[in-house]
Amino acid sequence: MSKKLIGFFLLLLILVPSIVSVAQEPQGLPVDLPREELFIVDQIFRYGVPGNYNIWTSAGVTPHRHSMMNETLWYRDQETGERINGLAASDPVYNEDYTQMSVDLRENLTWSDGVPFTADDVVYTVETLMATPELGQSGWNTSFNTFVASVEKTGDYSVQFNLNEPNSRFHTLFETVWNGVYIMPKHIFETVDDMATFTFENPVVLGTYIPIDYDPNGFWELYERREDWQNSPAGVITENAGPRYILTIFYGDSARKAIAMSRGELDVYFDADFEAFQTTLETTPTARSWYAEFPWAYPNENNTRQFTFNYEGQPLFQDVRVRWALALSLNIVELQTEYIGGVAKVTALPIPPTQALQPLFHDPLEEWLVNLQIDLGDGTMYNPYDPTIPDQIAAWAEEQGYTVPGTPREVFGTGWWKYDTEAAATLLESAGFTRADNGDWMTPDGEPFTLEIQSPPDENDAFRMANAATDMWSDFGIDVTLSGLERNAWDQNGQVGQFEIDTPWMTATNVDGDAWPQLRGWHPEFYIPVGQNVLEGGGVQYIQRMRLQDPQWGEYIDAMIPLEPGSEESLVAEREFFQYITENMQMITTISFKKFVTWDERYWTGFPTAENPSYMPLYWFHGGKFAIQSLMPAA
Amino acid sequence: MKLFWEYILPRVVQWFVVIFVGVTVTFLIPRLSPNNPVDSAIGRLTGFQTINPEATLAMRESLLDMYGLEGTLFEQYARFWGRILKGDLGPSFTSFPTPVTSMIGTGLGWTIGLLGTSILISWVLGLVLGSLAGYFRHARWAKLLEGAVITVYPVPYYILAFILLILFTFYFPLFPLVGGARGTPAFTWEYISSVLYFGFLPALSIVIGGTAFRFIMSKALASTEVTSDYVQYADLAAIPKRKILFFYVIRNTMLPQITDLALTLGAIFEGALITEIVFGYPGIGYVLFNAINTADYNVIMGITLLSIVGIATASLLVDLMYPLFDPRVRLK
Repeated sequence: MSKKLIGFFLLLLILVPSIVSVAQEPQGLPVDLPREELFIVDQIFRYGVPGNYNIWTSAGVTPHRHSMMNETLWYRDQETGERINGLAASDPVYNEDYTQMSVDLRENLTWSDGVPFTADDVVYTVETLMATPELGQSGWNTSFNTFVASVEKTGDYSVQFNLNEPNSRFHTLFETVWNGVYIMPKHIFETVDDMATFTFENPVVLGTYIPIDYDPNGFWELYERREDWQNSPAGVITENAGPRYILTIFYGDSARKAIAMSRGELDVYFDADFEAFQTTLETTPTARSWYAEFPWAYPNENNTRQFTFNYEGQPLFQDVRVRWALALSLNIVELQTEYIGGVAKVTALPIPPTQALQPLFHDPLEEWLVNLQIDLGDGTMYNPYDPTIPDQIAAWAEEQGYTVPGTPREVFGTGWWKYDTEAAATLLESAGFTRADNGDWMTPDGEPFTLEIQSPPDENDAFRMANAATDMWSDFGIDVTLSGLERNAWDQNGQVGQFEIDTPWMTATNVDGDAWPQLRGWHPEFYIPVGQNVLEGGGVQYIQRMRLQDPQWGEYIDAMIPLEPGSEESLVAEREFFQYITENMQMITTISFKKFVTWDERYWTGFPTAENPSYMPLYWFHGGKFAIQSLMPAA
Repeated sequence: MKLFWEYILPRVVQWFVVIFVGVTVTFLIPRLSPNNPVDSAIGRLTGFQTINPEATLAMRESLLDMYGLEGTLFEQYARFWGRILKGDLGPSFTSFPTPVTSMIGTGLGWTIGLLGTSILISWVLGLVLGSLAGYFRHARWAKLLEGAVITVYPVPYYILAFILLILFTFYFPLFPLVGGARGTPAFTWEYISSVLYFGFLPALSIVIGGTAFRFIMSKALASTEVTSDYVQYADLAAIPKRKILFFYVIRNTMLPQITDLALTLGAIFEGALITEIVFGYPGIGYVLFNAINTADYNVIMGITLLSIVGIATASLLVDLMYPLFDPRVRLK
């Protein structure tokens, strides 16, 4: 009896998985569509509001919907820094005193239900957002009520904004990198009673793609190309149909994305860590990133990474000698190669040395950096800048057997600070620090010099950078603790000032080099003391977390207001501000963003590459739609 | 009546008190943290883009108003109970204006389906296999089975789950990587079979871990029962082994495990966070995790309320039903 019973259970254990496996194809996609018509995009997070397409509410950011469905007047390409006309037919035109902005609109566009797009839609959108605080997306309600006196159509395809006060940057509300004011279909929204709870099912869109199916749990969303795709801005601009279907799907961590790509269930993803990217190259021979070979990753996203100080949390950071000592005890070549894999650009300025920004900031300031001198505190003037850093990284790359695809400065960024622990020691000693018998540093109060770095491990490069600093500062004799915190806990600590050194990212200028719209929130008038949440002040959170009350910042930022955006005069003012931050080492900027945007050419070709940099490959940004629309099925 | 006043009523009152205290504590804890849902929402928005400071402040005011977070703590608490009594858990802040009931409803079906099924399977498997191994404790197969279980049992669940994931999605790509089903919900064989297919691997991970734990418990209990006088006597009396096994050994082995089963089933409402994250499976575990991180008070309250009610009710039912399983329990 017992043998029969045991046999039965064993049989059950074997049969159940077998039956289930046989009953199903070994295929894990949530939709059954021919692969030659389906492009699969890594959805960068799960949708919190599946099935709600009213993007004008304050429901938060969406991973891809904003780019696939919606349109605004202009785009800024992060690769070139150039403006791309979206719904607008040309650049914005201001009157002489910047109190009026006129826009001509494209005349050949329609909504996905066939209704023509006209100036009425733009006027309706602005007036509706101004009158409806419940539509809280990105603060557009407040911005319009602050700046706009009235908006009027001056023709079927032209509008004029009358502004409350001179504003030479008003157009940036409609000029998108991540998002910009999305235009509403007047003929739909004017029939809605309650805008805040309207979910906009069966959305009517100006973009090329219409959502047709979704997972109620937010894991995936399916889009279908409009029949009349030629009537959408991306259709007009690329003159290419693009894939018929797009599936965005949330896979989670890098390992699962790499597995999905190897199974042919994912066409493009980011942001793998170096090891997951290498695994993808090994398991998916048709996969690649921006460069076909080393250093692979896309280097021109408009953000930098840095170590920032909590000036109130650790008063020792008030001393510029301490800040410089910390910078000079970092070995940037080792940080960039051993910890980051040699795949990011180095920058000493708080600006990323991208294709578009390096000629505006880094090149003109190179001579100033080379000649920069700091006082080591003992009367010695010292040149901290080492312009050969990119060459040293290139030499490392060649030792590894890699070929560097360009000049070291093009590929690895600019110079950085010398790794000079003797100079760093001189700085600390002049600031009153002493060495204990074991070589560890003691503060002027005679206490061991301790530092705590907080960093979120899911932000790969930031966390690796934090690991590098932990090792290097420990070797220098500082007692360093690294806390890897879950993103929300890290944000929360930063916002209320519970940290000493942080590793945030930063955007110091728009991609065309106009910095004031980004720097406005850096102004010390938005300072909030430790213990209160910096968001209560309204400033840029990653800057205001530092609790730096430097009146000079306010003077520099205010001086930029009346200057013509993009003018040489404006750029000079911006450079002076960044020089001030740099020579006072108010934050230690290290590298710019790199993104392992990884795609598989098995089913689709035509994604932008270093050899064919048609558009930026950052597909999750609003302008990413152009890269997707440019795709062609593989032969 | 004596049964009601002295046995049932005190337990029902205790049930109410547990729920009231549990919900009150859960109401207070997130509000004592420095994080709040408005700042979380603003933080998310400004993490992706720069918004002008005046607009950020206006959004903050507008969100405070919209989320209904104005008023003192007591006023919020009173409003909360008022809503609960009407069956309204309010909107989620993170996914505003989606109602919490809708978010829980979407995730709960998956959690109950996955955890309910796999817990029951592992309970039956562990109980039966463990009892068999305890009864036939000298048999080679029993020793082999015990060896296998003792090897698997100490492996942390997340390691076991990750091994299964890599093994059956990469090296032998038999199962999907993410999701709960193919397509949108429909009462068709195609959809139902895809639910079984997508749920198999996560369920297997729970069944392996759960079976191992219950196998060890059952075997230990059965080994004790086997040496009991009444089993020895039944054996000497030549009562069929099947009868001894099922009516003597397994029945007695099962008694303490009924409490475990009821409490485990009650805890379903907390979700299976690690399972959901490792296998990318839908459910309320991840919803709760996300809600805690973003201070989404209403979602935290909603899921916690369910969880407290689930566990308290399971304990109450076990208490009330135990006399039915164990004739030795009597009200004196």
